[in-house]
Amino acid sequence: MTAGVLVVAGALLGLGGAIAGALLPKGWRVRAATALIWAACGCEAAAAIHVLAIDRPIVLRSTELLPFTGVTLVLNSLGAFFVLLVVMVAVPATLYGIGYASHGLDTRTAACVFPLFVTTLLLVPTAGSVATFMALWELMALTSLLLVLVDHSASEASRSAGTWYAVLTHVGAATILVAFLILAAHSGGQTFAAIAVHARHLASGVRALVFMLALVGFGSKAGAVPFHVWLPKAHPEAPSPVSALMSGAMVALGVYGIVLVGDDLLGGGPVWWWLVVLVLGGASALFGSLHAASSTDLKRLLAYSTTDNIGLVLLAVGAAGLYDATRHPLLAALSLVSALVLLFNHAAFKGALFLSAGSVQVATGSRDLDRLGGLLRRMPQTGALFLVAAAAISALPPLNGFIGEWLLFQSLLHGAVIGSTAADIAIPLAVAALALTAGLTVVAFVKAVGIGFLGRPRSESADEATEVPRTMRLAVGLLVAVCVVLGVAPTLIFPAVERAVKTALPGLGTRILAHGVDLQVVGLRGMLAPAALAGSLAGAVVGIMVLRRALSRQPTPRVVEAWGCGRQLQTARMQYTATSFAEPVQRVFDDVLRPVQDLDVTHVAESRYVIESVTFANTVDDAIERSLYTPVIRAVRRWGQVARRLQPGSVHRYLAYGLGALVILLVAVAVMG
Amino acid sequence: MSASTYTNVLGLAAAAVLLCAVVTLWRRSLGAIVRTLAVQGAALACVATVIGLHEHDVGLIVVGLLVLGAKAVVVPLLIGRVVRHDPNSRETDPLVNVPASLVAAGALTFLAFAATRSVTSLVPTTAGRLIPIGLAAMLVGFFALVTRRKAVSQIVGILLVDNGVALVAFLATAGVPLLVELGASLDVLLAVIVLRVLAIQMRSRLGSFDLDQLTELHD
Repeated sequence: MTAGVLVVAGALLGLGGAIAGALLPKGWRVRAATALIWAACGCEAAAAIHVLAIDRPIVLRSTELLPFTGVTLVLNSLGAFFVLLVVMVAVPATLYGIGYASHGLDTRTAACVFPLFVTTLLLVPTAGSVATFMALWELMALTSLLLVLVDHSASEASRSAGTWYAVLTHVGAATILVAFLILAAHSGGQTFAAIAVHARHLASGVRALVFMLALVGFGSKAGAVPFHVWLPKAHPEAPSPVSALMSGAMVALGVYGIVLVGDDLLGGGPVWWWLVVLVLGGASALFGSLHAASSTDLKRLLAYSTTDNIGLVLLAVGAAGLYDATRHPLLAALSLVSALVLLFNHAAFKGALFLSAGSVQVATGSRDLDRLGGLLRRMPQTGALFLVAAAAISALPPLNGFIGEWLLFQSLLHGAVIGSTAADIAIPLAVAALALTAGLTVVAFVKAVGIGFLGRPRSESADEATEVPRTMRLAVGLLVAVCVVLGVAPTLIFPAVERAVKTALPGLGTRILAHGVDLQVVGLRGMLAPAALAGSLAGAVVGIMVLRRALSRQPTPRVVEAWGCGRQLQTARMQYTATSFAEPVQRVFDDVLRPVQDLDVTHVAESRYVIESVTFANTVDDAIERSLYTPVIRAVRRWGQVARRLQPGSVHRYLAYGLGALVILLVAVAVMG
Repeated sequence: MSASTYTNVLGLAAAAVLLCAVVTLWRRSLGAIVRTLAVQGAALACVATVIGLHEHDVGLIVVGLLVLGAKAVVVPLLIGRVVRHDPNSRETDPLVNVPASLVAAGALTFLAFAATRSVTSLVPTTAGRLIPIGLAAMLVGFFALVTRRKAVSQIVGILLVDNGVALVAFLATAGVPLLVELGASLDVLLAVIVLRVLAIQMRSRLGSFDLDQLTELHD
């Protein structure tokens, strides 16, 4: 009962944050709202930990709040895991928001909507009925949409991003609603508990329809290909703390929805469902990592990398469903564990990366890698934190990204036992996709760090960059600390992950992972000692340094520039740019990326043999957006033009429509009566 | 009041309401149209009062008197003032010419009778048999709205629709409660005042009451 009070108190504190943000004067509102949001996060986190500890859901009902349906909140272990994930991103993101406030977050609208957004993120995993879920889900979509538009409300790119996001998120919400309504109609009740009882006995066609609708809806929120097009538009335009929350937490809730419907409500399904998820995941991972490798806008790169990571998570979710459908509960559980660990890790390092990208933007006024450079010397702490987070997302040991991908590899490599032909083809392909994705991710982040933070500054503003306020660095530091701790001691979150997995895949008696310092997969041959790995790595680094010092006793010769190798002057333009760094990758994957290149040569007026200037432009726009969405938009616009002819602006015409309808109705009555 | 007198008077008054609606289609002078509207209001009030007398319903008689005040006196006076801004203004060129309008009115009346057969068989009283007249008056009013160009004719058209609806209400239910009728009358009064202001504004901005000028507001 006390835990239930915590959930409600958290919701009320979050609402209080929104009210404080709306009512207080400018100097106070962000700080007060942040304090209240932290209190809300504390309450929800305490409730979540309580649920995970006792492994029994909290159930709350109120019939007064929503008319007809009432509000049902059920916090089970799966939801509790996601609440913890949201809290883990929300606390640093709001802390960062204090320093970032003057860049668009201290207006009355933003200060009111931001706490509301965090509150809905915290509450979505606790929704226990269709009506409650949809209300919170839509509120989450609306508040995030407002926050995307809040930063540069006058810019064209921001408006376009808002439109894309609004359309995709509402199409997604519509399909989710239809899926839930079908389930509720067949179950005679709209609580998830009632649906879970009845949904297992539905006709297989209905179940498949529900799952596919939910996959489209939640996939569009998660940013899976081909619904990802809003991510690279909305993330660059949103304020950085909002990007961090959207990319770290909101996208994870899309995966939560897929697990909720697929495993929790429908109780698993046939092999082909999960093959679809697997294919979506593989396509997202490859497409996202390819575009991340070729993007030159830092936040656009991070947005595509989100699609890439969600692809990996979907690979894991698909594999889990596949193993579950073919009766391999242990492998299914391992895959789902890897999905949740990947999500948690992604939230930590992607949050850190988006926040540091925000710091870079604050310091230099630019997100374009081709205008940055040399930032590690000018912003040493932000640079170092970005470097660690980039190493984490590249899955380098001893950081957390490595643990998640190791688990996923374990579950996929042991998948040779299945015995279904389709799965036997799909799983090795998934391994290949995972390997290629891992490589491309490294390319993308070597580019981000190498071009953005090393070398010489490519613009004056990058040259004059200074370190950002302390709260902003501290916020990034918190998330990076999570990356390091979970890399060295991943077993810390495994009890929580295991409880969550057992909620989604009931009937799993044994332990999945042996607890302790080392990581051991029970029943399979797979073992990893992260702490020992970290220790030996640190030892090796220290050893090399000691050895170098010992060997270099004699004074080292000073290296000076004799002739400078012919380089009389060394300008920033001689360095690799983000575009040129990505060029080999772009060349190899030319057919997928389809870059548009413009070479414009201007000749001197007197002679066409003398060139005055050469302009080269290389843009990589989204091939899926171009081939899938543009025709749809064009068709809609054409129909809109046709429909406009009905409205010439003449009052008489409008009145005639009314009279005509009335007469037709009366004629129908006269004929039929 | 004897039964036959009641039937005759009621039928006469209801027919007068429809006749007035048709006359507004026929006349071109805006002043005459407004006077026809006043006559229609009076006929409507007569219907309410006669039913009230027959049913010994004091409330309905009061409603009848109210209708007489509002629809036969106050509203026509208000619209008349608009007409006085431009006394020579005439409905010169309606979208559908007068003879065709009269034919259309006949067709609409026929349609009203055809469509309400089932309703009249449900209410087999004298008043019930007259319901199609109310519907016909409403349809004719709507037709005037669609085909007449001047703002004043539009206001009159709306009032014709309202009078038709009120006539159906009196005939079908033997009178609506006083409170509802009061509310509806106030609504109409308010609408007329707003429309009057709009029409005068339109005239001062566009130089005429011609509604076609509004197409220019479309982008």
